[in-house]
Amino acid sequence: MPLSATTRAAICQLVEQYPERRTALLPALKLAQVDMGYLPRETIAETADLIGVPHSAAYELVTFYSMLHDERVPPTVVVVCAQLPCALRGADALVRDLQDGLQREIATGAVEVERTSECFGACHRAPMARVNDRYRENLDGPARKQLIQELSTA
Amino acid sequence: MTVALEYEPVLLTHPGRTAPVSLSEYQAEGGYVGWRKALEKMTPDQVVEEVKASGLRGRGGAGFPTGSKWGFIPKTPGAKYVAVNADESEPGTFKDRELIEIEPHRVLEGIALCCYAINAETAFIYIRGEYVEPADRLEAAIAEAEQAGILGRGCLGTQVNVRILVFRGAGAYICGEETALLESLEGRRPMPRSRPPFPAVEGLYRRPTVINNVETLANVPAIIDRGSGWYNSIGIPPRNTGPKIFCLSGRVNRPGNYELPLGAVTVRELIDDCGGGVIDGKAVKGVLTAGVSAPILSSDKLDTKLDYDSIQAAGSMLGSASLIVLDEDTCIVRSAALMEEFFRHESCGKCTPCREGTSWLHKILTRIEHGRGVPGDLDLLLSLSGEISGKVLCALGDFATSPVTATVKQYRGEYVAHIEGGRCPFKPW
Repeated sequence: MPLSATTRAAICQLVEQYPERRTALLPALKLAQVDMGYLPRETIAETADLIGVPHSAAYELVTFYSMLHDERVPPTVVVVCAQLPCALRGADALVRDLQDGLQREIATGAVEVERTSECFGACHRAPMARVNDRYRENLDGPARKQLIQELSTA
Repeated sequence: MTVALEYEPVLLTHPGRTAPVSLSEYQAEGGYVGWRKALEKMTPDQVVEEVKASGLRGRGGAGFPTGSKWGFIPKTPGAKYVAVNADESEPGTFKDRELIEIEPHRVLEGIALCCYAINAETAFIYIRGEYVEPADRLEAAIAEAEQAGILGRGCLGTQVNVRILVFRGAGAYICGEETALLESLEGRRPMPRSRPPFPAVEGLYRRPTVINNVETLANVPAIIDRGSGWYNSIGIPPRNTGPKIFCLSGRVNRPGNYELPLGAVTVRELIDDCGGGVIDGKAVKGVLTAGVSAPILSSDKLDTKLDYDSIQAAGSMLGSASLIVLDEDTCIVRSAALMEEFFRHESCGKCTPCREGTSWLHKILTRIEHGRGVPGDLDLLLSLSGEISGKVLCALGDFATSPVTATVKQYRGEYVAHIEGGRCPFKPW
């Protein structure tokens, strides 16, 4: 399926912003991902054509950056930071609670819960998680219960 | 602690606030006065000289003198660029995020002054992709300042143009390495370049480029407005001047950002007086001062002053001043394994020693933590570290060895207990 006309127009507009066209490649791939939900081969190729770079140039960005996906992702992805500052403040227990509390949603593929060794810059509000592209912080006690409740009814 | 109580912040002037400081509020508090002063009364060279005289050193980690970096930009005609490093991804670091979220105009004013000083018309703020809200706030603040004629074409009625663009990353720690950041901006895989040429000569689009951290640039408005003499009255001149934001995390009661003069307090004072002490009154086992990228300081070094030179003399680095506190119940081996997992994940893969070495370091640390270590493992960890450090293009590979070498040397007994006992002697976290 090709990109929507709106996304194609937005990408063409991006190209005009920068001193060199290729700078628009990463932002364009992000726009394409928002449009398609992920980046299948034909979307990567279409985006590369709009920027005017070889398909491989776009593909090598998609396979490098952790926020770009060349496979479908569940509608809700919860990524718990488990790097040292968060681990010292209960990140492992947060992962366990989310996995236990969202068993049904995980089983149906509606939600994915994962831990990461990446740091999200929220160590002072640990434990925390990224839920799609938003931060949920200070996830102990009531906030944790609330998050699980929100995601189970989603 | 009197120092923390008496100190009046320069950078984070609204502690506890969650909404961004608007343009009108910022101006009411003296914002953009330095920008007007530079445009109306100072030449670009005078701005560079003032920043040199302030002694400001890069707040991103390396501590390189900012004025000197600006001075390296050649005066030849043609485009020059400013790239602002907002790819804050070092574990334990969350200061640039607060500056951007709460004080976006202070950051923008610093960027504008840098542009003026080096005669650049375009600046890119390279912000990590996960910082969605901070990036939105930056874009809103840029629009505010452009609408008011402060930034954009013909800043404050002069012939000076400053265009600031927010560029969002997509999840890669390596983009905080300055040449990888440039590669990312140019639409290529963010793998570090070999130097020379340095970015001051051949940077973004092969043009002279200054790359500065967010906090570094946030210091500049006050330096220009109030002068380098005033700036030198904060901290310990000549090498440790000015305010610094200390990110405090880990096993403390009140984690958070604390702005203090460089060298004003010790590690212990920061933990006890700002951080409210260690959780449950436990003892400190060690403190990482530069996130996970520099050797851990053991508990006998807690009276070290928090400035570049004192921390270095104690055997570590101040870096981004991200202090992660480990208490007596924290397993050092597990901590090292977690830190190494980070480097394994973030190694860009360009240099073989780093790509392969971080993976092996992590595997060996994990097997020791799980009670499957063998007697030769500690020597193996140290020799493997020696094969990575100094044999790679960028600092990531060097940083990746310090969680291993420093902990094996300083907490050898804990490693031995894991190997000989066949299990981790600590309770799970």
